[in-house]
Amino acid sequence: MKSLLNWLNDRTGYRELMHEALYERVPGGARWRYVWGSTLVFVFVVQMITGLMLWTAYAPSTRTAWESVFYIQHEMYLGNIVRGIHHFSAQAMVVLMAIHLVQVVIDGAYKAPREINFWLGIVLMQIVLGLSLTGYLLPWDQKGYYATQVTTNIMSATPAVGEQVQLLAQGGKEYGHLTLTRFFAMHAGILPAMLIGFLALHIYAFRRHGLTVHEPKHAPDTTFWPDQVLRDAVACLAVLAVVLLLAIFKGAELSAPADPSVKFDAARPEWYFLFLFRFLKFHAVESLGLTMAALVIPGIVMGIITIMPLTAKFLGNAGHTFNKGFMWLLTLGIVALTGLAFYEDATNEAHQAALAEAHRDAERARELSSGPNRIPVEGAVSLLRQDPFTQGPRLFAQHCASCHRYNGHDGRGMLVTETVGKGAEAKVVTAAPTALDLAGFGNRAWMKAVVVDYSNHFAPLKNAQWHKDAKAKAEAGEAVTFLDPDSSEMADWSGNADALKAPENESAVNALVEFLVAEAGHSGVETDAALIEKGRAIAVDGTWGNALDGTSCASCHDTIGQDFTVVADADVQSTYPTLAKYGSQAWLKDFIRHPDAKRHYGEKNQMPAYSEKQLSETELNLLVRWLTGDYAPTTVPDYPTQM
Amino acid sequence: MADQHGSSATESTESSGSGSAGVPVSRGLFLQLLTATISFVIVAVPAALGGLFFLDPLLRKKSGASGSSGGAAKKDDEGFIRLDVTADVIPADGLPVAVTVRDDSEDAWNKFTDVPVGSIWLRKGAEGVISAFNSVCPHLGCSVNYRRSENDFYCPCHTSAFSLDGTKMNEVPPRDMDSLEVSLRTEGKADPAGLEIWVKFQNFQRGKAEKKPL
Repeated sequence: MKSLLNWLNDRTGYRELMHEALYERVPGGARWRYVWGSTLVFVFVVQMITGLMLWTAYAPSTRTAWESVFYIQHEMYLGNIVRGIHHFSAQAMVVLMAIHLVQVVIDGAYKAPREINFWLGIVLMQIVLGLSLTGYLLPWDQKGYYATQVTTNIMSATPAVGEQVQLLAQGGKEYGHLTLTRFFAMHAGILPAMLIGFLALHIYAFRRHGLTVHEPKHAPDTTFWPDQVLRDAVACLAVLAVVLLLAIFKGAELSAPADPSVKFDAARPEWYFLFLFRFLKFHAVESLGLTMAALVIPGIVMGIITIMPLTAKFLGNAGHTFNKGFMWLLTLGIVALTGLAFYEDATNEAHQAALAEAHRDAERARELSSGPNRIPVEGAVSLLRQDPFTQGPRLFAQHCASCHRYNGHDGRGMLVTETVGKGAEAKVVTAAPTALDLAGFGNRAWMKAVVVDYSNHFAPLKNAQWHKDAKAKAEAGEAVTFLDPDSSEMADWSGNADALKAPENESAVNALVEFLVAEAGHSGVETDAALIEKGRAIAVDGTWGNALDGTSCASCHDTIGQDFTVVADADVQSTYPTLAKYGSQAWLKDFIRHPDAKRHYGEKNQMPAYSEKQLSETELNLLVRWLTGDYAPTTVPDYPTQM
Repeated sequence: MADQHGSSATESTESSGSGSAGVPVSRGLFLQLLTATISFVIVAVPAALGGLFFLDPLLRKKSGASGSSGGAAKKDDEGFIRLDVTADVIPADGLPVAVTVRDDSEDAWNKFTDVPVGSIWLRKGAEGVISAFNSVCPHLGCSVNYRRSENDFYCPCHTSAFSLDGTKMNEVPPRDMDSLEVSLRTEGKADPAGLEIWVKFQNFQRGKAEKKPL
């Protein structure tokens, strides 16, 4: 063994190299404050390992990027851990880099003769930020897509060459396959190669000038091995432990697949860029224009940092003091702005609702992609686009929520508000619904309420201006025809509490409700066939088996129990709304298109008719399928109600 | 020596390099071992996790590709797939015909519906019995063609040759051509006189004497 090592040493001279690497002098003894550079090298090594491994499974194109990352995250062995390590190490790298920089400035390590090395460090910093930026887009999820859009658009604000720079980065005018291949080549090839090169120079220069000793008399001189290595290794272990814990217990996020047609209100840059994001939102900053605010000012800050060695050289101690002061101020500013951004987001209901929705979409995308049909060739984005559970609430919020509600909110978890008062007195309050809350549309409770509690069930209509106007006219003695939940034939019938709610009729009412639920035929609702038949007889023939005998739904709603058909106004005999397959998809689609048809509410109708111009057939289908529960089963919780 | 390392900007550069620190200070063996151990662990942990991730195809229980899990209307529970071609169009004189087999296919995260998954040779033998062979050469996976001049099956890659009943004709291939189970049916029900051809399509390991499904 010894002769083998001797031979190896003779041929390579490794001992001298090892000696040089390990027994560098550490004047003043090993210190914890010297560990930051080593932790950065360590994290970079971790990134190389995990990055290369992720590369073995990643497929950069707009139809496979999200899909392959989904596969890594949820199906591959330890995929979530390896991706989690890569994800959190990237953040650790930025944090450690910031600490390293502050440390270097405070200890004066940037001063002569180490100017060049300081500048090498600044270059390394840009490369690391470039790696962060390019890596953020690669999963091709909503979060990365929109955050990176902002960055490339800022790029385009560069004077003179902005558009060309953007084109080069994106590989085209819009994001697409080539954006991903180019970002991936930058992220996994060009930037790491540059980083290795500059890191080698950085370490070489560091060794050439040695450590910047903080307090030479702190302790007896020692050597790099093992004293300082131990401290470095323990620091790296701590970093690794934090990253691992985050990877295991928090996990790297994968939001819904990128979709340029879906608004992403939760868009934020990665948290360490939040300060810049928040800075750009100041009114005074905004008014400077994008080029000034997002490029020139950060450029000036970067410039001041870059010329720090010169400042210290020409201004002496005053320069160093200025540099330290600037660094502290900058740190303080960044911490304050980051904190402010977090605080504002945490207290902003709209942002929280957007986050909840982003989370819901992400979970749903994962659920659908894990399903037996896997992901179609068109990509996971098509799964969400065709999913009623995802699209229904959005369509509802857009088209229905100005009158209706869903569990009290607009379908997407936001309360519907209105401004009351004028001028200084104006305040935003929750708007009262002027039509029914459609959560639970067509379920047992709904049907039962229609039958036995009509007035209360339809009470929200009374909030509508049309109702108030009509009521006023009626009270003034004018003849008006309008839908009044309080006094209509249905209200009279349903208001017959003594009979309908009497114990003797309980089973009959239940049977009637069962029949109505079965007629609506919503997905996943189990019904009792015998009960349905009993209910059908009551609805159609009025076989209550007591004094109510002969009182049937069909005596007014003559089509109840029949299939729903579109009957032209001229052919409608009854003056009452059709209850043929009431609550079913066929009924609901027709109702949304033609609520004013004579078969529905006729001239009493107040709901706007949604033609194909307002709501396409595809959208109508998605909306109706969502309201009737017709979508792939889900364990994703519904929108929380913002209260 | 330590005095030279004041905080002045003119701090010397001579401390760099190997020599100045002299002979390494001998420290406790424990300290050295501890340092070595931690240094090893911090690199080994990410390397091991990454390595295990790379071994995913060996370690994962859930099978990814190749397994087609129903869905296509033309496949039965036993894995027989109905071909587009019917028994009456297979030449009676024993001339082989190449037919594309379609099935659902899974590839990692994707599922493709009703796509070509392979090619087979169909041939009517004596007494009109239809036999089917996977067109993948059992040698190393090139495709076997019908060679009109010799009236045999022939793989141009490494000159594997097979008679029309699939028997290997030289020592290049390790086994005969991979025959596939054929079932004639009428409306999906077994019927020796039926015109529907159902084939249990499978791929087999190549380069081995034993015929083992993939």
